[in-house]
Amino acid sequence: MIKYLIVVAVCSISVLFPAKNTQLVEDYPMLTDLEMALGKDFGDKKPNMSIKGVSAEAGESLVKNGFATNASGKKTKQQSKHFVCTSCHNVEREDPNMAVNDAQARLLYTNEKGLPYLQGTALYGAVNRNTYYNGDYYKKYGDLVYKAKNNVREAIQLCAQECAQGRKLKDWELESILAYLWKIGLKTSDIQLSETEKTDLGEAVNNKEKQQEALFLVSKKYLDSSAATFVVPPVDRDKGNGLNGDVENGKLIYKNSCLYCHDKGRYSYLSLDEGSMSRNYLKKHIGTYHRQSVYQVVRWGVPVKSGKKSYMPQYPVEKLSEQQLADLVAFINN
Amino acid sequence: MAMLKNNTILLILALIIGIVPAISGQKSKVYKTFKDTRVINSHSSETLPAGKLDFRIGHRFGDIAGVSGGWPTFYGFESSSDVLTGFEYGLTNKFMVGINRCKGSGPLKQNVNGLAKLKFFDQEVDGNTSFTFSLLGLATYSTMQKSTSEGVLNFFAKDAHRFSYHVELVAGRKFSERFSFQVSGGVTHRNIVASNDQNSIVSIGAASRIQISKAIGLILEAKKPFSNTRKGLEYMPIGVGFEWETGGGHVFQMNLTNATGISETDYIPYTNSDFRKGEFRLGFTISRLFSL
Repeated sequence: MIKYLIVVAVCSISVLFPAKNTQLVEDYPMLTDLEMALGKDFGDKKPNMSIKGVSAEAGESLVKNGFATNASGKKTKQQSKHFVCTSCHNVEREDPNMAVNDAQARLLYTNEKGLPYLQGTALYGAVNRNTYYNGDYYKKYGDLVYKAKNNVREAIQLCAQECAQGRKLKDWELESILAYLWKIGLKTSDIQLSETEKTDLGEAVNNKEKQQEALFLVSKKYLDSSAATFVVPPVDRDKGNGLNGDVENGKLIYKNSCLYCHDKGRYSYLSLDEGSMSRNYLKKHIGTYHRQSVYQVVRWGVPVKSGKKSYMPQYPVEKLSEQQLADLVAFINN
Repeated sequence: MAMLKNNTILLILALIIGIVPAISGQKSKVYKTFKDTRVINSHSSETLPAGKLDFRIGHRFGDIAGVSGGWPTFYGFESSSDVLTGFEYGLTNKFMVGINRCKGSGPLKQNVNGLAKLKFFDQEVDGNTSFTFSLLGLATYSTMQKSTSEGVLNFFAKDAHRFSYHVELVAGRKFSERFSFQVSGGVTHRNIVASNDQNSIVSIGAASRIQISKAIGLILEAKKPFSNTRKGLEYMPIGVGFEWETGGGHVFQMNLTNATGISETDYIPYTNSDFRKGEFRLGFTISRLFSL
């Protein structure tokens, strides 16, 4: 009995008065803060807040509305006539497990959270990534990808000018967007840590010898880049990609992805809805070899043309799997 | 004249009081009752979205049959009764302005038209507003050369004689994804008219769009001008056509109409072609949207 009381007392004391050299992971709600506490150097990835007009609020407005209010209180010119960042990117968490790139899990998760299912990788957690425009994006943007690959500022500018077909961002706008991206960086609670791992990380904060190992542990808990693999449409579009589609899942993709841009022509000249005429239109063109074919437009998108800069970006297979494409086609054909 | 004014007021009041329902809260708006800002010649209840520039070309050939048609004009293909070239722009989602040049088919030609259209109610999905209401204002200035003959309209004793105006209230409803209908009432005023004509003419109109497929729609329209003094000059401009939404912001339309002119200040007062005698023509309109 006495032994038991001693054990309880020791445990209680250790909980109430943790050892001086142990930090609680919960003290770092933002993952970047935890990583910096573990010695990670983000270098110049942090926004330059000394530039006049820079604020996370202005960045949020640019990302969501395409404009912001400058230091003089004047509304800026719309960044793009065609898109805003949120046309293609969510600004909230969209993956149930940050360490796994699973398109179907993302579809279900975003549906549960009431978010659209989009081609672009979420801006949420963008500052936690080390590389941008990965995988096959060089096929689309050529040399432009190389300077954007390891530089978040160049990546934002590339997105603004090429993806959104808009104007170049001014310095204060760019830094504001970066400030907003830092605000929507991954939270420490977004990564899956066991109690033991939390304790280890907490201890490593004040123990330089353990920091390298701790940073390695953290890095395995989320993807530091977003893979992008472009695949070609099926050769025989009447036969499709050979997979049996799930109609209900296809309906989810149609509603949360296709209609996000095409409903009432939000970002597209082609207006689609849940009515029979829209589906008949898509069904009629599935087997064709032009841009009205779902296979073609999903895998190749539509190009930017002179005088018609609004376009549709393609879905990498990581954003719409071959099975999901079969599901979408099954829904359209149903 | 007084009676006409009363008729106009009554018509507008009937449209507003009889059809405009209570303004409701935030409801989903019905999308595109009509695909274009025009049906055939008539303005639809639609306005351009904010920031969109519409470049449009309209062409109406000559009479297919009748006295002026047939083989000598290759069924109208070798004539043109009117040609429109113009730009329109959506300043907001509910207000658009435009300018166009029309060849003109009436006695006043080489017309420059300026227009503004305001959509002040949107039909709502499951809402209280059952119709989309728009108000159109159009001013026409004839740049035709001044004639030395006093007896013709283009003598232009005053510069004001070059002007004519049209104002119209349009109420449109999308009944289903396949069927849209609109009614309209308007007044066309010309500063100078012939002695057997009258300056202000009241007209009512009806138009419909029947969606055949996602891209193709059948469009129909008719206007009825009312006049006490223009007996024998009244012909209802009637039109029927097909409209293709070709994607990428294009709308292409082919039509058959007895109206010779394209703009309201022309085709409402000056249509004197009889559909029954083959005095109708093939026409087309191309509309191309750009983001500005």
